[in-house]
Amino acid sequence: MTQAPTFAVVGHPNKGKSSVVATLSQNDAIAIALEPGTTRKRQAYPLKVDGKILYTLVDTPGFQRPRRVLEWLEAHSVSASDHADTVKAFVTQHQGDGRFVDECELLTPLLEGAGIIYVVDGSVPYSAEHEAEMTILRWTGRPSLALINSIGADDFSATWQAALSQFFQVVRKFDAVRAPFDQHLSLLRAFGQLEPDWEDPLEQATHYLSGQRQQRRRQASALVARALEDMMSFREKRTLTASQAAETSDGSLADQLRQHWYRHQRQREQTLRVDIEHLYQHQRIRRQEAELEWHSEHDLFSEDSRKAWSVSKRYLATAGFGAGAVSGAGIDALTLGSSLGAGALVGGLIGAAGSYFYGDRLALPALNIGVLRDGLKTATFGPVQDSQFGYVVLGRAIDHWWHISHRNHAGRELLDLEPADHHWLESLDKSSRQDIQRAFDKCRKRRPLDERQREKFTAAIEQSMAVYDDWRLNRT
Amino acid sequence: MTDSPLRLLLGFDAQAQRDKSQPPAFLHRRDRKFALVCEEQGVAPDATRWLAHLNRLSGPDATPPTTDQTLTFWRRVNTGFAAVGIVAGVLTMVGLLFYDGGQRINITVFLAFGLLQLLLALFTSMQSIVGWQPWRWLIRRFQSGEASKGTINRLHPLLMARAAHLGGLCFSVSGLVTLLVMVVVQDLAFGWSTTLETAAANYHQLVQIIASPWAWLWPAAAPDLALIEATRFFRAGTEGASPDPALWGQWWPFVTMLWATWVLLPRLLLLLLTSALVRNRARRLISSHPAMHALLYRMETPALDTGNEHNDADDLPDTRIRDNLLPLPDSDTLLCWAGAGEPELPEALRSEKKLILRAGGRASLTEDEQALNQIADHLKTGGNTVILLTRCWEPPTGELQDFLDSARGIWPSGTRVALVPLAADINREPAGHQIQPWLRFAERVGNEFVRVSLPPLQWPVPHTASGEPS
Repeated sequence: MTQAPTFAVVGHPNKGKSSVVATLSQNDAIAIALEPGTTRKRQAYPLKVDGKILYTLVDTPGFQRPRRVLEWLEAHSVSASDHADTVKAFVTQHQGDGRFVDECELLTPLLEGAGIIYVVDGSVPYSAEHEAEMTILRWTGRPSLALINSIGADDFSATWQAALSQFFQVVRKFDAVRAPFDQHLSLLRAFGQLEPDWEDPLEQATHYLSGQRQQRRRQASALVARALEDMMSFREKRTLTASQAAETSDGSLADQLRQHWYRHQRQREQTLRVDIEHLYQHQRIRRQEAELEWHSEHDLFSEDSRKAWSVSKRYLATAGFGAGAVSGAGIDALTLGSSLGAGALVGGLIGAAGSYFYGDRLALPALNIGVLRDGLKTATFGPVQDSQFGYVVLGRAIDHWWHISHRNHAGRELLDLEPADHHWLESLDKSSRQDIQRAFDKCRKRRPLDERQREKFTAAIEQSMAVYDDWRLNRT
Repeated sequence: MTDSPLRLLLGFDAQAQRDKSQPPAFLHRRDRKFALVCEEQGVAPDATRWLAHLNRLSGPDATPPTTDQTLTFWRRVNTGFAAVGIVAGVLTMVGLLFYDGGQRINITVFLAFGLLQLLLALFTSMQSIVGWQPWRWLIRRFQSGEASKGTINRLHPLLMARAAHLGGLCFSVSGLVTLLVMVVVQDLAFGWSTTLETAAANYHQLVQIIASPWAWLWPAAAPDLALIEATRFFRAGTEGASPDPALWGQWWPFVTMLWATWVLLPRLLLLLLTSALVRNRARRLISSHPAMHALLYRMETPALDTGNEHNDADDLPDTRIRDNLLPLPDSDTLLCWAGAGEPELPEALRSEKKLILRAGGRASLTEDEQALNQIADHLKTGGNTVILLTRCWEPPTGELQDFLDSARGIWPSGTRVALVPLAADINREPAGHQIQPWLRFAERVGNEFVRVSLPPLQWPVPHTASGEPS
């Protein structure tokens, strides 16, 4: 059995070697910093399928003293035929020597048979000063590929391309932070082209990686569906004894319920976000959204969120349950029954909160303060009766999913979920719209979805994800 | 009667609920590994084996408490129905056989009761098949918390029917036993009576139809016309018209077989059928369980590990911001490191320099040494500062550190190095993030020897004596 290929990612310090490895190994816990010496030891990142390694990426420290190494090599070599042996002798000679620790770390995997992935930064001008390290790499005799990464905004890749092609079999551009997933696969295939034996495992790896990505989308849609179900049917309930009821005014009771309901919904949304991030192996994302939701444009209940993610009445009308969905809140408001007295109360609450929380407009049909019966008084808040809430949650969830699924693991910047301009759900097919609306309607009536409905709901959300993806791609 | 498919369903459901809070990557690894082990052993990875595998790894008493709770609940329901059935069976039979010597025990009542029991049994089964659960609120009330949730809810109609049939069976068995005991310990006088004008022949025909299942087996249990004619009674009739008293007792085999065949047997058959349906439905629920689809997918799809186990995110070098920039000192010695100042050296830096040298980058180590010596010689003639130009975007490397270490040894003591990182566009100041590594580098080498300065962007334009630019 042939050994699985290994690729050593090498280069000058601070050119994005670790970023390339982080993105390709989907590991956001690799130390990345604009400081030479961040990577001090080589580290292997094997891609395994059922425990079997298909290929291994090795992250290495950058060259620190290439001229001195080259001088040593040239001094100890007689002809081109002994180049690889001389490099080996260099490592043997300097293993444990403090001055060449980085060079030994980066050359060792090459001597063990790794392919060379040489990373440069295409956003800075080409300089011939790198030629010493390229020469050393050529001396190892290993198959090689040069990657033009892009750390800054400028583009000098054309000159890099011309220069690198003198030294390397293949030269590819790859922006470790921004490259889309397709380019990851294409790059891996290019790795496979370096040696005939490597083509097959790399082809298999790309096959499994794209399968995993499809599966993740399905899993993400199931996570979103479950969160929507929870949030749309959630009810905050409080039972007070006669003495407690006497001490608490209806106003403060309503306010407490509303606050708890809001808090629970925000927490549930955060749980969903963490779940989606973990699904895509992002364990360390820092989000722009502040923990303090007040007066934040990112808050679930802010007017900005409603504007960005709620759907038009025309959309609702075509969702199959048009009339019911549009006037759902109104009808429920008319049939409040025992909570009719709470109407004025909520009116007061809305006045107090101002127009910041659109959620307060959902409050009227959601609040129900019962009368004192058998010495107990029960007050409930939720489930929300207006489907718009569901669409706001759905929009925000899918937007977050999209950012996560398109985020490379080399990315260390804050995750900023900027609001969208026009509505993407308008291009969703009719049957998916109906499935979503039907699920919302069941949830707000607190009727559990059966498995078939849940499957359809999940499929509709997956379809929404595809629509959103298209919309994002065509937006710019 | 085994509960194994039901137990399996409950166990599977409980495991599926728990798996919801596990990360998908873990679940995939776990189940794929199980599938591979099964493949190695040449067995099919089904739900039973999967649960047994998980339970075995979790050690003894791994059955989830909800499974036991649910099974215990239904066991109690069954026991309750059985107990009520036994008591009701005894009481009902005693009631039906109530005989104070004044009147006959009416066979017609027995026939009607048997019919009622049969209809009740069929109704129970129909109800379970249709899924109508008028008693649902009662179950909800008695079943607490988690045990009432999950897929098991869909089995409630059948489980309830099974309990009802068990109760019915106990009822009929205890009724039958009571009947036989009564037959032994009392003289029972059976007769038949009806208000309708029915001829004995018609009644005989009815009895024959009812007795047809056992008539061939036990002829004595199928009354003949003579007995029917002889045992008709009218409550308002005279006692004197009664035939031989022994004839009244000849009905007991028929009553026994009537009860056994039309009350007990249907209940028994329906109980067996319902139990089979429960098992079958439980099996189908497992195979159509949404978690089963996910499980099969996980078992069939290879587990992909992209190499994300290693975590050194917290092992970052010291990247705190430094702001100890020094104003560019005056010096007539300029050293360009590794191509800095190429292709064009900024005029502001070039002017008034007596010595401009190049080192690092493409220069050989010997050339570096020569530059070091030249500067050392030059510094002996005056001046104590060397401006070292670097490219700000290329980070400081070990080679520069080696060079500065050598310089410190060769150059006169008290010499200072002003490290000046140049931007790619020499007319622009280097970006802040590109200066920082140089500041930290200077700190590492020793700030008493190396300090970082920014390049002068606008060198003062030389003025003529008249004050006009030259």
